Amino acid sequence: MIAPAAVMIFLFFLMPVVLTAIFAMTNMTTATGISGGAWQVTQGAINRLKADMPDLAGGIAEPRFVIDEEGLAALEALKLKAGFSTELRASHMGEVFPSRREAERMIKALKDRPSTREVKQISDLFNRSVLNTRFETRDGLMASLKKLGFTLTPAEQETVATATYTGWVWTTENFRIIGNSPDMAQIFLNTAFYVSVTLLLFNVSYALFLAITTHYMPASTASIFRAIWLLPRITPVVIYVLMWKWLTWDSGFISMFMGQFGYPAKNYLLDSAYNAWFFVILINGFIGASMGMLVFSSAIKAIPQTQFHASEVDGASRWQQVRHVILPQLRWPILFVTCYQTLSLLASFNEILLSTRGGPGRATEVWSLAAYHTALNNYTGNLEYGLGAAMALVLVVVGIVLSLIYLRIFRYDTLISKPLIED
Amino acid sequence: MRILLDKFSKSFGSTKVIEDMDLEVGSGEMLALLGPSGCGKSTTLFAVCGIHRPTSGRIMFGDRDVTHLPSQERNVGVVFQSYALYPHMTVEENIGFPLMVKRVASADIRKQVADIAALVHIEDLLGRRPAQLSGGQQQRVALARALIRRPDVLLLDEPLANLDAKLRLEMRSEIRRLQKETGITAILVTHDQVEAMSMCDRIAIMKSGEIIQIATPSQMYNDPRTSFVASFLGNPPISFLKGQAHQGAFVLGGSGLRLPLATLAGIPDGTALSLGVRPEHFGTAGGVPVEGKVVFAETQGRENLYDVVLPDGSVLRSIQPVRDDVKPGDSVRWNLDSASTFVFAEDGQRL
Repeated sequence: MIAPAAVMIFLFFLMPVVLTAIFAMTNMTTATGISGGAWQVTQGAINRLKADMPDLAGGIAEPRFVIDEEGLAALEALKLKAGFSTELRASHMGEVFPSRREAERMIKALKDRPSTREVKQISDLFNRSVLNTRFETRDGLMASLKKLGFTLTPAEQETVATATYTGWVWTTENFRIIGNSPDMAQIFLNTAFYVSVTLLLFNVSYALFLAITTHYMPASTASIFRAIWLLPRITPVVIYVLMWKWLTWDSGFISMFMGQFGYPAKNYLLDSAYNAWFFVILINGFIGASMGMLVFSSAIKAIPQTQFHASEVDGASRWQQVRHVILPQLRWPILFVTCYQTLSLLASFNEILLSTRGGPGRATEVWSLAAYHTALNNYTGNLEYGLGAAMALVLVVVGIVLSLIYLRIFRYDTLISKPLIED
Repeated sequence: MRILLDKFSKSFGSTKVIEDMDLEVGSGEMLALLGPSGCGKSTTLFAVCGIHRPTSGRIMFGDRDVTHLPSQERNVGVVFQSYALYPHMTVEENIGFPLMVKRVASADIRKQVADIAALVHIEDLLGRRPAQLSGGQQQRVALARALIRRPDVLLLDEPLANLDAKLRLEMRSEIRRLQKETGITAILVTHDQVEAMSMCDRIAIMKSGEIIQIATPSQMYNDPRTSFVASFLGNPPISFLKGQAHQGAFVLGGSGLRLPLATLAGIPDGTALSLGVRPEHFGTAGGVPVEGKVVFAETQGRENLYDVVLPDGSVLRSIQPVRDDVKPGDSVRWNLDSASTFVFAEDGQRL
């Protein structure tokens, strides 16, 4: 009966990771597409070539004019004076002109004296520039270059082919970009700040505070409190964030309230990086606290009532009860919530996307949001699937490493050790 | 230290559990609160240790009124039925917990824990956790924890209920020994009459939130105030015959049995009565012959237990030294010691 579960795990858990890893090893973008590509001497390709082969780059950037059979056939089809093609075939066959001017000077000098209009017409037919021409095969590009008079060694051919290829290729470049870019470093710091502060202040500490205080309340009061703290979790996130926006934007509650004291209205959410972080952490923390609260409350409920009675008659104050009876027995739930919430904070960006969109500027851009912006939705429209997948993969690795560290810190092995019962 | 409950009442919401209870436990005395489940004995215990606050009335420890003191300030030691050991602490930390929360120096705690552990014979288990202990060992740890800060009062809530029979016997004498050695005033809550009789100086027997009788175990056994008390004490239990008074004698209708009893002088003829006969008072000794048929026989090793059905259908129980001449189905004519029987009125009050 393990087969269905294994298939599920493979399809829904392993495959996405594997696919992410595969994409991460490519340079796929909107420009390359996700299927194969062609060879094309674009301005970008020429720029790339300039470093290695400046002469060639300069050469193919210019149009070239070649007197060949193909051009002559086209010329004959135009039904101009027959003398043009005859003379060109007889005395200029195979000549290559590096610029339009030179080619046109030669055409102008033909015996049949073509008019200026005809010179333009004729020269166009012999324009053999590869610039912006799309070649379906690599050999097609190489043959064209050869015809234009560029003789290339196999190594040079390779360089040209790589520079002009428009499809995606396998690469580890993404990881170098992630490792070296100062933008990425800033996003990494943003993420570490956001996850650790939200986790420590709200998802664990505040959740513990709520669970312990409601534990000491009468049952009915406690359930009202818990229900209130569940509201952010059960409200649809779009509406929940919209309410925060109402609170903070320039005609919102805070602005109105502060207006009473003469402060000008402003958007408190996006007004400064400090404010943006403040609200981003509150928005996420209020949602996150409810889960810890529920887990911790039920864990406290699972502690036998007599242990509380016993510690009371043993003389423990309430704080000592929390410190010595409740907290040590919450080790597992705290581990679970910390671990789970770290991963969910690392991976979820919808609240930030809906509230600040990573702004102001990129002040609240966190890793997962940056991966989303890179791979799926950005202003320039060039979506870098490969780089985005690499960023997501980094997130997966960070998550796994953190989980292992947590298990270590909380001494998972002692938590699952078997008791040695004997009489 | 003397414990006094003065007009103690406790209700939970609109449910009155205990009303106007008076109880005094002498200094150094061990008292059993005995009764069926739901009679309010644990509620009383929890009120004494401060977990429940009384609805009205006073609770005194010696001359100190502790009615409104939280448990932390009462200096009581409690052994709970489930032991309530802290699972994440070692035995040493469990026992030392009451001192630790009082911020006693840790060297001091170590020494006192070692002393008390020796007293309850668990000195070599100090490094273990509760999950690594047997029931009896956990019981001793709970006792040690209750005793370590030298409480004024030791409260035991069904401390033996979770132990097997052999261990129960052992811990019975062990707890009594500790109580006597420390001279502590103790209250034992139990539903087991054997525990109450064997461990305690006095027994308070409770029913529906009321104390029916307080007496020493032997007084209570030999002189029960009501039929409830008589039926609660004794193993095998007492049997009752339903009959009537007739000219100073107890008459069992339909069987011709007639017992002249001094206590029945002046009781009008025809008054409905209930006669309690303990198993040891029906058999070989005694002066009134009773005829019946054995329907059940059971040997307990040293003694045999018989159920005898009288002609009117009521049953008398008999316990006798082992004999193998009587089998179920046999008709017997055994003697009843009428002087040792108890006569109860219809409402259960002893006459």
